[in-house]
Amino acid sequence: MGSHVVWTVLKKELMDLFRDRKAWMGTLLVPLLVIPFVFFLLGTSYSNVEKEAREYIPLAVQGSSSLITSLQKNPAVQILEPANPEQALQAGHLRAILTIPAGFDEEIAAGKTAKLSVAYDSTNQKSVYARTLIEQTVEAYSKDVVAKRLNQAGLSEQTIQPIVSTFQNAASEERKSGGMLAGIIPLMLVVSLASAGMAAANDLVAGEKERGTLESLLTAPIAAQHILTAKLLAVMTMSSMGAVASLISVTLAMRLGPMGTEGDHFTLAFFSPVTLLVLIVTILLLAALFAGLELVLSTVAKSFKEGQTYMSAVLFLAMVPSYMLMPVSPVDIPTHYYVMPVFNGVALSKEVFYGKVDPMHALLGIGSLLIYVVFTIFLASRIFRREGAGLKH
Amino acid sequence: MIEVKDVSKRFKEIAAVQHVSFRVEAGEVYGLLGENGAGKTTTMRMMATVLTPTEGDIEISGFSVRQQPLEVRRRIGILFGGDVGLYSRLTARENIAYFGRLYGLEQARLEERIHSLSRMLEMDDFIDRRVGAFSRGMKQKVAIARTLVHDPDVILLDEPTTGLDVTAATIFRRMVRKLQEEGKTILFSSHNMGEINKLCKRVALMHKGKLRFAGGLDTLREQFGTEDLDDIFMAVVEGSEG
Repeated sequence: MGSHVVWTVLKKELMDLFRDRKAWMGTLLVPLLVIPFVFFLLGTSYSNVEKEAREYIPLAVQGSSSLITSLQKNPAVQILEPANPEQALQAGHLRAILTIPAGFDEEIAAGKTAKLSVAYDSTNQKSVYARTLIEQTVEAYSKDVVAKRLNQAGLSEQTIQPIVSTFQNAASEERKSGGMLAGIIPLMLVVSLASAGMAAANDLVAGEKERGTLESLLTAPIAAQHILTAKLLAVMTMSSMGAVASLISVTLAMRLGPMGTEGDHFTLAFFSPVTLLVLIVTILLLAALFAGLELVLSTVAKSFKEGQTYMSAVLFLAMVPSYMLMPVSPVDIPTHYYVMPVFNGVALSKEVFYGKVDPMHALLGIGSLLIYVVFTIFLASRIFRREGAGLKH
Repeated sequence: MIEVKDVSKRFKEIAAVQHVSFRVEAGEVYGLLGENGAGKTTTMRMMATVLTPTEGDIEISGFSVRQQPLEVRRRIGILFGGDVGLYSRLTARENIAYFGRLYGLEQARLEERIHSLSRMLEMDDFIDRRVGAFSRGMKQKVAIARTLVHDPDVILLDEPTTGLDVTAATIFRRMVRKLQEEGKTILFSSHNMGEINKLCKRVALMHKGKLRFAGGLDTLREQFGTEDLDDIFMAVVEGSEG
């Protein structure tokens, strides 16, 4: 009888939610359309800036040196002579100003250190790119000068370069792809899990209370915990759908969009049966945790509007751990984060996208998440079954 | 049958209902009368087991609201006025069927009940349309059908005609009489003496959480020497305060 009631209420809740345009638009359309659109927009904007920075590099030179000839070997470099170079740099018409003191080449020829001054604008990405180009050119030019000096002194280059290092990236293609995703996806995943269920949770208790439907439901010969179980499952469904939609859209945006992995081969091979299982369990437990919390707040709220205000607390709870762990590599996450609420879910999903889940971390993370879920559902059940909790006034 | 036995309900410092007792016989339409805030809805909510009495008990068809709340719920149908408590994104049929399933009705029986209620309440034209766009009267019909879907013995009507126009209220009263003919026990709460007069022979009159009178309307008329029920109501209220 209990499972029949849960199924009846759940079916009705899902039908009701899917007929609510706002609910499914928030849950599915926003992640599926808005996220790729934002990625595309950001990517296009970044790649345009980079392209323009590479294709046209206007510089001003005060003084002269053969170094400038080396710079001009790059066809994008244009030497301009504006009336007021400083003003032109501020206005973005120039990317950098090179000031070469008198006797610059002579100083170098005499075996001394010549001083070159470069003015650039650190707030302008194109100017920063010009500075990098100048640095690389000066380094290459200096290397030539050093080689000539050593040659004159009868020494080889090896004299000043006793060690030559070669670096090989030990990260597999899978890990490189996953490493990129481990930065952004846990953030998107956890925030989606928290946000996608909010409208549903608020509607299913605070909204029903306001419309008087919950009171009618509570007069039916069914146990309150069965109603709550169905509502919890409905909110979890919406949360999980939102999270999966986010996962799909971010993965596609990374793979196909302009911010995608140019040159690198993007692959989802970092998913193994074990990591996939850990990810699914983590998503379900986080969905249950957020759904439980959202139902607690929705039950406590006296109106739908009040419920909306309370829901922002859940979003805050999801965002803080996600942003805190975003720049941290999965191998550097301290063990105690695997037992802290929400942090554990973020940390575990980072490991999944990194392609290697530590069994101890999985045990700690999933075990502690389970305890938080049980506690939250127990709390939700207590509050929901409290006398008068389902009444409007 | 409904038996309210010395029932009180407190919400922290507020005594919403104080030592109220009355009895509604099987097959009777009984009026629960009082102005807004008199304690009628709280009393109804205790009967529906949504609230638990602080003191006393209520028996519905022999079952205690304290001891056997699920048995009580199986035997009652409650209809609230104002917000009729329907799911606006579901059709009328889906609303009624949802509650029917929660009351454990088998599919065939459920379909039969929906069909007969739809005919009785003249809902055939709109039963498969979503409730959100319905008029107040149409919504009230759906809410009545939802209340009656499991064929309850006892029907609690809490200010059921609130917001209804004259025609809809008249149709509603006809339906109450029809239910009485079928042998249903009906408790009808209202703040409108005239409405109670049209349906009930006996009433309980509440004021500020206390029962001021329980008995026949004829007794009240004789006692106060007038046919005007509004005057009688005021006299009872003022007498209890004086």
